[in-house]
Amino acid sequence: MEHLNSTAENPLRTVVLGASGFVGKSLSSRLGAAGAPVLPLSSKEIDLCKASAGEELRLRLRDGDALVFVSAIAPCKTPASLIQNLAMARAVCVAAAEVELAQVVYISSDAVYRDGVNPVSESSRADSDSLHGVMHRAREVMLSTTVRAPLAVLRPSLLYGAADPHNGYGPNRFRRQAARGEKIVLFGEGEEQRDHVLVDDVAEVIYRVLARRSLGTLNIATGRSPSFREVAQIVAALDPSSGPIEATPRKLPIVHRHFDITEMLKTFPDFRYTSIEDGLVKSRADSSDR
Amino acid sequence: MTLSIAFVGMTHLGICSAVAAAEHGANVVCVHFDEDRIRELRSGRLPISEPRLDELFTANRERMQFSSDATVLAQCDLVYIAPDVPTDSEGRSDVRLVESLLEQVDAAVPGETPVVILSQVSPGFSRSHPRRNGQLFYQVETLIFGRAMERALYPERFIVGCIDPDDGKPSALPAPLREFLEGFGCPILCMRYESAELAKISINVCLAASLSAANTLAELCEGVGAEWSEIVPALRLDRRIGGYAYIEAGLGIAGGNIERDLASVIRLSRQAGTSARVIESFVENSHYRRDWALRTLHARSGGRRFARIAVLGIAYKPDTASTKNSPALELARALTPFEISTYDPLVPASALEHARVRPATSALDACSDADALVIMTPWQEFRELKPVDLAQRLRGRLVIDPFGVLDRNLCREAGLDHQLLGSPRATSASRTIDHDVHRGTDRSRAEDHA
Repeated sequence: MEHLNSTAENPLRTVVLGASGFVGKSLSSRLGAAGAPVLPLSSKEIDLCKASAGEELRLRLRDGDALVFVSAIAPCKTPASLIQNLAMARAVCVAAAEVELAQVVYISSDAVYRDGVNPVSESSRADSDSLHGVMHRAREVMLSTTVRAPLAVLRPSLLYGAADPHNGYGPNRFRRQAARGEKIVLFGEGEEQRDHVLVDDVAEVIYRVLARRSLGTLNIATGRSPSFREVAQIVAALDPSSGPIEATPRKLPIVHRHFDITEMLKTFPDFRYTSIEDGLVKSRADSSDR
Repeated sequence: MTLSIAFVGMTHLGICSAVAAAEHGANVVCVHFDEDRIRELRSGRLPISEPRLDELFTANRERMQFSSDATVLAQCDLVYIAPDVPTDSEGRSDVRLVESLLEQVDAAVPGETPVVILSQVSPGFSRSHPRRNGQLFYQVETLIFGRAMERALYPERFIVGCIDPDDGKPSALPAPLREFLEGFGCPILCMRYESAELAKISINVCLAASLSAANTLAELCEGVGAEWSEIVPALRLDRRIGGYAYIEAGLGIAGGNIERDLASVIRLSRQAGTSARVIESFVENSHYRRDWALRTLHARSGGRRFARIAVLGIAYKPDTASTKNSPALELARALTPFEISTYDPLVPASALEHARVRPATSALDACSDADALVIMTPWQEFRELKPVDLAQRLRGRLVIDPFGVLDRNLCREAGLDHQLLGSPRATSASRTIDHDVHRGTDRSRAEDHA
């Protein structure tokens, strides 16, 4: 990644598309804490799937804005949602072509990498065979071939945090199960190793990319991949009301994912990720379902 | 009658080769078309550093003459064209100087005088630059930075490319070349130009294969609790691998020459429509391993912020001032927010691209008040450091020592967190494996064959 600003400085204004989502909210909050002007936009303001969305967005953008595109219909599991997601990206491309933006930041996903590639780095081939991965990759290519402003593509690993609206398998579900005194249910023995990133850290990295006006591609991952069982054990140890950890018969083969985070170490040498242990403590403290 | 041999191109390869020829009894004519360099050599000042070079140069001074005038070549029995070939950041060679020298030499010497290209060229180069009577040869050189004189004086074999090698025996060579090479007492292999040109590349590719395997397995050792230094002696006793195999773990491949040959194979394979995926993996693995120290530094920081980091060693390996693709340069670039305090016996601190570098006067001085120490080149001088002295100077406890120049037990006793390539990550500070087996060997980066 390359920094166009030699030192950090707030963008004139940051337009966050998808501001009501898990990452969008956290980012808006981080920008606010830094005193950086923000225009949060969600589907209530602009439905990016509509044919007129590009023009509507253009009218809201100003020259010199930084634009963060974090909205998506996720997970993308059907051809219909793939088309909708691409229509959203088309709207962004149409609008961005008409305005002199200072920067565009696209929040993609590590789903662009095929399962089983280890360790994943920014130079790994983005040739996912999942619809969700293909969707993000297609959006990346749409933006990189049409946006004139400096483009940063960020690919976060699995996210967690108190405000996560999803209840997917992993830290968030485990924490909620524990809070309700239920069993923490693992797939198989919970052997799969994954890199879990606290949403606050994702917001911090995006903020740094905006402040340094960085361009290029960067994965957002901690470099440590505990197994789901290890995560469940941390959650259970934190919550006295937690039920036991229960294994279930395995249905799918075990696939691990590890990251080589050298590029992050070079891009932001003084940034430190929150450990999964500290992140789960924070998530529990911030959570309303304790 | 004593042979008169010319070497054209007085850079690293030409100088070392000329001195070795003189040491073997030839009268040597050193030609360089830049009078400043010739004046420098005449006055006894050598622009390069190699073990034993100064001593041998002085001892053979009477058998060496220096000139920037091509006409001196006309009286020579044999002419070598031997300038170093520069490479770009992608490993591509620039052979324009070799071509230019070849033209000048061809114009200056009689058609029957054998001309030998010693500089590395790509397959096809020699045949596309024909001389009258077929008196053009390509000789493979395997110079190693830091061991150049040893390699030039005692070669394992000579590989010579000819326009038509006949039966592959030295009898295919003209008398002056055959006589000169036979004086070294090693096998002489004659072959087609293209085979010799590719043989040179093949040597480096095989070395890269060994190194890549070693580095891959050393990293695995770190993850599964094995110790690469325990495995290496077992591999060396396997005849199929051998006692001299390049299987010490290192920080990737540097120096520029092996990288150049990997790039050449990838390019040639693309042209020929053959698969070079495995070679591309070597390159990728090298880049990945180069950053081992950076990753370890951050991983072992325990979340602490660094103020000053001591970096010992800038050269890509000991006994050379070369920094081509040195991992120390890459490390420094990745430590921009922190102050770097650095020392190298030959390379000045200014070689590091970093805004906040403190040049130190010694290795111990570099360690003063540093939050962490990283030893990037295994100079002998660093092996003599006492961990207890380091512990007194350092503010932090973290010592990244990829090549194991420090005694691990003494580091532990001094309270240092000593991190070594190919050792288990979680327990490395508490293990007591004797590393004497390493100390006599070179755990440096790949010794780079030019």
